[in-house]
Amino acid sequence: MKLTLQVWRQQNSQDKGRFEAYQVSDVSEDMSFLEMFDVLNERLINEGKEPIAFDHDCREGICGMCSMYINGRAHGPWEETTTCQLHMRAYNDGDTIVVEPWRAAAFPVIKDLTVDRSAFDRIMQAGGYISVNTGNAVDANAIPIDKHDADMAFAAAACIGCGACVAACKNSSAMLFTSAKVSQLALLPQGGPERKERALDMVAQMDKEGFGSCTNTGACEAECPKGISLANIARLNREFIAAGFGTED
Amino acid sequence: MLNAKIPAGPLETKWSNYKSTVKLVNPANKRKLEVIVVGTGLAGASAAASLAELGYKVKAFCFQDSARRAHSIAAQGGINAAKNYQNDGDSVFRLFYDTVKGGDYRAREGNVYRLAEVSAAIIDQCVAQGVPFAREYGGLLSNRSFGGTQVQRTFYAAGQTGQQLLLGAYSALQRQVALGNVKMYSRHEMLDIVKVDGKARGIIARDLVSGKLERHFGHAVLLCSGGYGNVFFLSTNAMGSNVTAAWKAHKRGAFFGNPCFTQIHPTCIPVSGDHQSKLTLMSESLRNDGRIWVPKKKDDNRKATDIPEEERDYYLERRYPAFGNLVPRDVASRAAKERCDEGYGVGASKMAVYLDFADAIVRYGKIEASKKGDDHAVQEEVIKLGKGVVAEKYGNLFDMYAKITGENPYETPMRIYPAVHYTMGGLWVDYELMTTVPGLYALGEANFSDHGANRLGASALMQGLADGYFVIPYTVGNYLADEIHTKPIPLDHPAFVETEKGVQEQLDKLMGIQGKHSVDHFHKALGKIMWDKCGMARNEKGLQEAIKEIQVLRAEFWRDVRIPGKQHEFNPELEKAGRVADFLELGELMCMDALQRRESCGGHFREESQTEDGEAKRDDQQFSFVGAWEYKGPSSYELHKEALNFEVVHPSSRSYK
Amino acid sequence: MKWSQFFNTSIGKKLLVGATGLFLCSFVIVHLAGNIALLKEDNGEAFNTYAAFMGHNGLIQFIAWGLKIVILLHAVIAIQLTIRNRAARPVKYAVRPKGNTTSSWFSRQMAIMGSILFIFIVIHLSQFWWSMHFGNLNTISYDGGKEIGNLYESVWFAFRELWIVALYVIGMIALSFHLVHGFKSACQTFGLNHKKYNGIIHFIGVWIFGILIPVGFAAIPVVIYIKQI
Repeated sequence: MKLTLQVWRQQNSQDKGRFEAYQVSDVSEDMSFLEMFDVLNERLINEGKEPIAFDHDCREGICGMCSMYINGRAHGPWEETTTCQLHMRAYNDGDTIVVEPWRAAAFPVIKDLTVDRSAFDRIMQAGGYISVNTGNAVDANAIPIDKHDADMAFAAAACIGCGACVAACKNSSAMLFTSAKVSQLALLPQGGPERKERALDMVAQMDKEGFGSCTNTGACEAECPKGISLANIARLNREFIAAGFGTED
Repeated sequence: MLNAKIPAGPLETKWSNYKSTVKLVNPANKRKLEVIVVGTGLAGASAAASLAELGYKVKAFCFQDSARRAHSIAAQGGINAAKNYQNDGDSVFRLFYDTVKGGDYRAREGNVYRLAEVSAAIIDQCVAQGVPFAREYGGLLSNRSFGGTQVQRTFYAAGQTGQQLLLGAYSALQRQVALGNVKMYSRHEMLDIVKVDGKARGIIARDLVSGKLERHFGHAVLLCSGGYGNVFFLSTNAMGSNVTAAWKAHKRGAFFGNPCFTQIHPTCIPVSGDHQSKLTLMSESLRNDGRIWVPKKKDDNRKATDIPEEERDYYLERRYPAFGNLVPRDVASRAAKERCDEGYGVGASKMAVYLDFADAIVRYGKIEASKKGDDHAVQEEVIKLGKGVVAEKYGNLFDMYAKITGENPYETPMRIYPAVHYTMGGLWVDYELMTTVPGLYALGEANFSDHGANRLGASALMQGLADGYFVIPYTVGNYLADEIHTKPIPLDHPAFVETEKGVQEQLDKLMGIQGKHSVDHFHKALGKIMWDKCGMARNEKGLQEAIKEIQVLRAEFWRDVRIPGKQHEFNPELEKAGRVADFLELGELMCMDALQRRESCGGHFREESQTEDGEAKRDDQQFSFVGAWEYKGPSSYELHKEALNFEVVHPSSRSYK
Repeated sequence: MKWSQFFNTSIGKKLLVGATGLFLCSFVIVHLAGNIALLKEDNGEAFNTYAAFMGHNGLIQFIAWGLKIVILLHAVIAIQLTIRNRAARPVKYAVRPKGNTTSSWFSRQMAIMGSILFIFIVIHLSQFWWSMHFGNLNTISYDGGKEIGNLYESVWFAFRELWIVALYVIGMIALSFHLVHGFKSACQTFGLNHKKYNGIIHFIGVWIFGILIPVGFAAIPVVIYIKQI
């Protein structure tokens, strides 16, 4: 099939950026979306032009590196699918596809479709862990965990940190990301001792990074490639309330 | 002769004796010692976090935008541990034995025993970190079985075990970053090792956003940079996975161990066309329930579901009745290649075999129906219930398969074919994980140590975390205890200046070529040579040809590669070029190693060395050694041998029949 | 975390918006229950008596002033959050998702509906509340009782104008759209999200606050208008 791409090009964080149009032909439906970009980039290089910079690594939907906003959708039209897993059979001959980077003040553009998501690391640093030094652990089966809770913790822990929630949210809110980690650790007994500080500190860091606030539109959940549930945001809210009302200082 | 420094004494007490007698560094001195960790996968993140917890000053580097993206995250199936929670006869010894046997007797006993010993503590540590492993209804941990073993010792978190373990290690790392004990450098790539007086004392790294080179000092340097499967271009590795850190270390004096030992994973989604950029693994756990078959007739073009039972050849069950579909990876891969080469392959390319869940769906469906008290459920109901069970176990993998191929694996069998997955070879290290360069360590897939000639499923995660959490914190201390008087070396020391100059020259050279072909063009060409001649089956003639072809290709690369953009900016093509330049050297060494090893063992299959029925034939008389190569200059390598002494396990012909 | 910090976080502010919002939700129920009396054709006895009681009871007056503060607080914090949310995306997307593919239309119009509602409330208050307290309301006495303000008469008078009726209907449409998402959203902000109860929350949000109450309010001017044609 033949397609027209409108791709955001931006030389660096200072550049204003603009869309450029590219025609691509011979697109096979078995290609992944990123493989189509590979083919286009190969052509651009052969023509002596600069290829389009985009983040990608594992190409199997788990590393969370790929991040394209495609025709108004984070990671494109397929549900629970990262850009790298999106395949061209999603499109028809003659389609026009507009590709933009994640847009958020907290995710500045580095180049073209590549953005800086280090804000997520800093949110994690604020409390997305259990303080247990190597060697301190008790036997793994010494802590039985309700299977239901363990499954819910896993579902929250499946977050790949790609930032699609932020990209899809009209407020660029990072609540789904933050809540996924807070939820995972709140659901497990191991996370108990630090749960109050964790909720307070991670939310404070999230705010500091310049993400917007949550207006519960649900766009994050709809676009999350791992199907992280809004129930996690509610749980973060509960954790935050309990912590805010329950801590002494 | 290489000295692996294996502690004396019986196998069971080597590690505990070592730990009890190893030199220690007191806490006040630890604060003054700096350690550089390159790579933040399971090995790197766990090492960086654990060393920081001990009090060392750590700098961690990764080329990705965040430490959490390292390719350990993609491991699906699970992690082995000798917990014997299932009461099925598992023990440290059995895990050790299975691993040595699975590795086709080309691994060190001492290292593997230590790995089995610390395996249980890894699970404890991960659970304490909040890793949500699968659990039974009673709240205790669940296990599954994996290829090459007859016990259930694999812990898992759905099909995302690597992700959960890595996020556990990553969170421990982030905690240390927050505490100021680790300084994290993401989007940084290590481009050389700095040696001062023969010891590793730092690295030259490139900030991938600004393109600027940086000098970093460390009293010790840990390479946790993963494997080199991407030398084949197509592999299950991430696009960015590369050998550069290990290769630069190799060129600075670290020996490269068993470079030809690569693992071809039997269950991957087949190539669909020239555009293919990577291959996707379907977890080995699928072989627990899926049956592998091809038609009995050559060039059978019927739909899989139209081929009747009696016309199907379940070749693994036929050839290996004891292990059936759960034979180790190397055996399963070769068997698939054999069938396809003989013309029994399926799919458009004929380079695929079926992985069929129809039987499992019926079997599980009947169990479910029976649980409901309905032993005479109609077939449709049984299939519906069975699909539910299969979806629960493998749903994410089935979904992934459907997205990539456009086929529904619940209705029609999956098509699979082997693909490059893991490299058992890597930097040669001694028992302490130190390379032949003092102060330079290699952990995880980057080293060669524990898997011999073939890695068993669910053992990579175990090894990465064992090295990072439980081995390096002890062994690095043994070296650093003698370094407490070494002051940080100033970054204007001639060694830093010289090394940076060399890196700069290579970058200038690459940017200056401005030839006609893209980096990928060369990478694909290299991959094809490697896959055809140094892939699943190798022979003398092919390997000799490959060496020549690679040399020609390398010369072409340095004459004709085109790298757009500029050096001092974010330039992914320049990053790739540096990595491919190193692959072009490594590929040659892999072929040389494969050439010298005139035996078949594990993932290394020399066509000249096979039994009458096509099984691999090992030659313990001549090849019971680790091949460790020393870099002597362009295309010049010297082979050193580390003899493998088996005191406990006696190498026997590896049979899964 | 100190209270000042707590309520300055994004979630803290949302809690204030949610709490004030839920308080206003409870108010609209009471308000509607009282105003239904407007439809009673008793020359305003029931309604005027109710209005007089509400206008002179100290506690209710206290709550009524509180109500206005709550409305202002609700609006001011929501505006603060909206400014912050806008700033969180300085460069807008060229393409947005079509229709309701990723989020409901109602959920994206909270600020606009809220603003319309706010304007409506200002008009509404200046029209009736102002005239009752500070204006020259006619008085009336029932069965020789005390003279009380005849708000009933001025309401009926006002709703003879079609444009005023239309204004009220628009105001109530805004109320409906605001609460369809608003009630659920406030519950979510307070952490009320549970498989078993989500159905009830959704029902209350959509059917009671999104439809029943706004329709009830809108019916008053419409019915009064029709009766006076």
